[in-house]
Amino acid sequence: MYEEKMRFELTVNGKRQVVYAHPSKTLLEVLREELNLTGTKRGCDDSNCGVCTVLLDGKAVKSCTMLIVQAAGHKVTTIEGLETEKGLHPLQQAFIDHFAVQCGFCTPGMILTAKAILDENPDATEDEIREGLHGNLCRCTGYKSIVEAIEAVRDGDYGDYVINWQEV
Amino acid sequence: MRFEKYFQPGSVEECCALLKEYAGKAKVLAGGTDLVPRLKMGLLKPTAVIGMMDIPGMDEITLSEEGLTLGALANLRKISLDSRLDQDYLVVKEACGHVSSMQVRNMATIGGNACNANPSADAIHGLILNDATAVIASDKGVREIPILEFFAGPGKNTLEQGELLVKFVLPKVKPRTGAAYKKFAIRGDSDISIVGAGARLTLAEDGTVAEARISLGAVAPTPMRAVKAEALLSGKAPGEELFRQAAEAAAEECSPISDQRASREYRLEMVRVWVRHALEEALERAK
Ligand SMILES: Cc1cc2nc3c(=O)[nH]c(=O)nc-3n(C[C@H](O)[C@H](O)[C@H](O)COP(=O)(O)OP(=O)(O)OC[C@H]3O[C@@H](n4cnc5c(N)ncnc54)[C@H](O)[C@@H]3O)c2cc1C
Ligand code: FES
Ligand code: FES
Repeated sequence: MYEEKMRFELTVNGKRQVVYAHPSKTLLEVLREELNLTGTKRGCDDSNCGVCTVLLDGKAVKSCTMLIVQAAGHKVTTIEGLETEKGLHPLQQAFIDHFAVQCGFCTPGMILTAKAILDENPDATEDEIREGLHGNLCRCTGYKSIVEAIEAVRDGDYGDYVINWQEV
Repeated sequence: MRFEKYFQPGSVEECCALLKEYAGKAKVLAGGTDLVPRLKMGLLKPTAVIGMMDIPGMDEITLSEEGLTLGALANLRKISLDSRLDQDYLVVKEACGHVSSMQVRNMATIGGNACNANPSADAIHGLILNDATAVIASDKGVREIPILEFFAGPGKNTLEQGELLVKFVLPKVKPRTGAAYKKFAIRGDSDISIVGAGARLTLAEDGTVAEARISLGAVAPTPMRAVKAEALLSGKAPGEELFRQAAEAAAEECSPISDQRASREYRLEMVRVWVRHALEEALERAK
């Protein structure tokens, strides 16, 4: 059957985007297949693993489990939006430095979730970081190095932490 | 294609008109955390999906002299972090905060949690313990029912075709009241409850129990209240032995099944444990 597309406007990584898609497409499908932003991964595709995590108006959400209609008119941040001309985002650099990346499949979701945790609470304790990461699975690192990387950013090892989702 | 038509009405009336027009072939979209996976798996095949995000006021959390009103679209994470609720409605926050992960809570709504009618739903315990009323709209007008009458069976609510859940109204909390909700799951909040147990105690001036509520999840076809256990507590001085008896009564009242998460016997044992813990915490908070 012919799929009637609708027009949607959203801001992705600071850029206004107009997409034409069927309203039953998920945000994940639109990001990967229409906008070619394949940094956002598809794992379980049913809201359990967290690899598809993006920020919606600064809040962590699972893009596999929301329809494009729910993102229309909002600001979406994907992993591609974190690097600036100054270089990698502190969380990206910290994940590399602390060996918080092995296969890397969970990493985009982990980093965006970590960003949401620190943006909401720059003094998050280890327990609060672990609680925040509850919806993100990693089959490789065992989480220890991931938590350490986030703590390093929190503790200022990469300079003062700047909450900047509003600008991206 | 998971559905054919999409609508985004701007009012409850418009939304109800669409529900009527599509006579059971339309699904409303709240946070989508339950609906979207079902659409993707093909478990639901509606002709139309109706997004409710443009209906004004549906997501409001309103605290007033009369009590607390939660719009059906009130977001679980917002509720769980709302410091205005610390004083009287801590258990409402607590129950919402136990739903899965931050990402799921950032999208999920209180109305969706109720409409799902999952026996193991967590967020609705704050509503049950506070004797919430569900306000339901259709093209025929508005009706109100007590929260427990909202659930009909696993995955079934009592909304009629064409009806929309609009909000929950929770009465003002009486003095000397404390309440707590405990979720027992192997992998924490992102796992489905083996047992959910909630308790509310309102004490009389002499410290005896004036009113008690006990809510149970994942141990019956619907979320339930253990009314015999509540009656057993009423009028008595709270304490360890009384709580043990109440927890025993609660275990006798429920009817858990065995599934991949736990056996019936284990669930009954866990009801005995977690009802006790919920009562102890409720008492602590009532003081
Ligand atoms: C990975 C994962 C983990 C989960 N873990 C938990 C958990 O630990 N505890 C728990 O309780 N739940 C859990 N859930 C279930 C779900 O997230 C919650 O029940 C949530 O509150 C549903 O709300 P929603 O706004 O996303 O509903 P939606 O998915 O938007 O809607 C759910 C259903 O209700 C209907 N509906 C929604 N709002 C209305 C309304 N106002 N009037 C009429 N019908 C309506 C929809 O048509 C749909 O059929 C989990 C879900 C996922 C995907
Ligand atoms: S792909 Fe979205 S949570 Fe796994
Ligand atoms: S690094 Fe492989 S899944 Fe996390």
